[in-house]
Amino acid sequence: MSERIADRRHDPLLPNAWIVARREYVERVRSRLFVVSTLVLVVLAVLVAFAPIFVKAIDSGTTTRVAVAASDEKLAERAIAIMEGVLNAQAGGRGSDAAKPYAFVPSPSRAHAIDDVSAARVDAALVAQRTASGAIDFTFYTGEGIGPDRAQLVGVGTLAVAILDWTSSNTVVGREFTLPTLDVIAAGGPTAGGAPITNAEFTGRRVVGIVFVVLIFLLLVVYGMWVAAGVVAEKTSRVMELIVAAGSARQLLVGKVVGIGLAGFTQYACVLAPALLALVLQDQIATVIFGQADASISLSLAALTPGLLGAYALYVVLGFVLYGCIYAAAGSLVSRPEDLQTISLPLSLIAVAGYMVALLSLSGGLPSVTRFASFVPFWSPFVMTTRLSVSRVEPRELLVSFGLLVATIGLAIALATRAYAAGVLLYGQRPGLRAVLHTIR
Amino acid sequence: MSLVLDGLHKRFASVTALDGLSFEVSGGQVFGFLGANGAGKTTTMRILLGVLRADRGRVSLDGRDHAGLPRRTWGYLPEERGLYPRMTVMDQLVFFAGLYGVPRDEARRSAADWLSRFRVPEYADRQADTLSKGNQQKVQFLAAILHDPQVLLLDEPFTGLDPVNVALLREVFLELRSQGKTIIFSTHQMETVETLCESVAIVDRGRVVVGGNLRDVKRSLGRQVVKLSLNGDHRLAWLDGVAGTRVIRRGVEQSEIELDTGVEPGVVLRAAVAAGADVRHFEIADPSLEQIFIDHVGRPIDPPLQGPAAADRAAAGIVA
Repeated sequence: MSERIADRRHDPLLPNAWIVARREYVERVRSRLFVVSTLVLVVLAVLVAFAPIFVKAIDSGTTTRVAVAASDEKLAERAIAIMEGVLNAQAGGRGSDAAKPYAFVPSPSRAHAIDDVSAARVDAALVAQRTASGAIDFTFYTGEGIGPDRAQLVGVGTLAVAILDWTSSNTVVGREFTLPTLDVIAAGGPTAGGAPITNAEFTGRRVVGIVFVVLIFLLLVVYGMWVAAGVVAEKTSRVMELIVAAGSARQLLVGKVVGIGLAGFTQYACVLAPALLALVLQDQIATVIFGQADASISLSLAALTPGLLGAYALYVVLGFVLYGCIYAAAGSLVSRPEDLQTISLPLSLIAVAGYMVALLSLSGGLPSVTRFASFVPFWSPFVMTTRLSVSRVEPRELLVSFGLLVATIGLAIALATRAYAAGVLLYGQRPGLRAVLHTIR
Repeated sequence: MSLVLDGLHKRFASVTALDGLSFEVSGGQVFGFLGANGAGKTTTMRILLGVLRADRGRVSLDGRDHAGLPRRTWGYLPEERGLYPRMTVMDQLVFFAGLYGVPRDEARRSAADWLSRFRVPEYADRQADTLSKGNQQKVQFLAAILHDPQVLLLDEPFTGLDPVNVALLREVFLELRSQGKTIIFSTHQMETVETLCESVAIVDRGRVVVGGNLRDVKRSLGRQVVKLSLNGDHRLAWLDGVAGTRVIRRGVEQSEIELDTGVEPGVVLRAAVAAGADVRHFEIADPSLEQIFIDHVGRPIDPPLQGPAAADRAAAGIVA
């Protein structure tokens, strides 16, 4: 019993879409709800950004067990003694009751030490290999439980080992001091695009991936629901009758999605800026809290490359346009706010599915499923961004994913405009699937 | 200027909203569009606006198909009142005028002028949800006219207004008419139509049952009405002896008596005098618009629907 708006005038999109967008944006960001929710989110984001410091504070009471293997037994004993002395010096100074941050245990061979890490009998393994020139090469194999900051401190310890080894042997050999090398390798471990990466970088990539997928989910679903709620509010207040006479369905739909999208991005920026600042400054903050020697948080942000950020921004914008249009159409089909959850539930479930697959991709599970999902337009904003964060994505894969997403957006705008045009005049009845399909036809 | 609606048909599933509706409105006229709830008035207005498309039929303004006309040709006050509740009056007026292509500064100036004209300049910076319904309605009316449309389509513009604002709105109607605007409005207040309109169309079940110049419409009935005031007699018992007459409105101060075609009004006066009645007022008049409505539609005009009920009917395309 509904009828689509007869849009035969072919009104140009601008300026009306922009006028609608401006109204939506201004009204949204001026509202008390927006200001309060932004402040709450800023506080939460900064707390999350400081999470590594909190973790470090908790972690400071634990002991990292490191197996030590060396090319000769004497070197192994010396390395253990020096590392104990250097890395546990601060704990020793605090008294015997203080937990030592490191415990070094000898291991008969490199293979044995690595096995111990893989079996989680120790947290890490340090292998010292004397070269032909007499210098020492170190390899640090990290397990699941070890934080990147401790790996860095082990690096400091290896330098002390090299210096003391040189001073003790220099009188005989007369060689020049050579800085020791230290390779940090995740035992069994983390890779990016098939290349091994350090635990710190892997952690950083996962953190970036998680942050991306959570932020995209919030933007698409929360702000998408804002769009739908905005349409329902216009129907509820009956102002829709005035609006549909003044602008075309396409102008109104696009304006609403753009305006609310910009308000969402504004909130996004307000939340991200202090959170990023907190991330950047956390080493300095850690210095204040933990003291200079034990300050490094070393959450690697190396994964935040310009290319990844660009792809992320594009997925956010395109994803929001796709979801926003469909949410607007869904909102137009109901006239009571309490019906909104019901009609938008299928779309929200699709988004949740994408979110779950993206989390799966972060843990490396079911690679064929995550790869397929990264091409599905409703899921690619979630899954492809996490794939980009933690694994290798071929350029052509990215192009196909974007292409499919853009094509789907074109189709979604056309269908959503038709549904919106019919739906905004539909009052008093909750439409079934048949009615929805009829309005789109 | 001439607005022509020619043979409009519109169905919503099994409901026929318009069934060959046709009428013509000359430029610069105030035109009364009358009908019971569900007669097809709102559907007609939505088709004129381009919000709905007719299944058949044609609408033209000065010979041009209305689909090719810019949106700002029309100003629309819907039956369902509504504004953005948290937006100030001035911001809403500027917003709606902007959608019709009016620059912000010009819209702001014009809105301020009209608010003063409506004696509510202090409302400019108030949120809509702080205004009374009547004042919200005035703001909506301003939203309909701020872009200076050629044709105004007003659905029940007087409903919900107090007598002072009804009088104010009537003045504005006449002022706009004098500027050459065409005003088409629906209402359930017949006396307002009789006061303001040159032409009317009465629509029933999606078609015009009578329309044209108001005087011609009234005389088309072929019957006359006598308005009679008598001192101390409102029962008019003596009228039973006068053939071809019946009381259509009985009042203490004045009664209205309808005469069948061919009955001479003077017989009523003579019968009253013969019965010894003290006649204070005797007037020969055309039938009221309400009587014409009842005569053609078969029942009195309904009060306007309000709120969700009206919206539900709108959804079905059967709003009056």
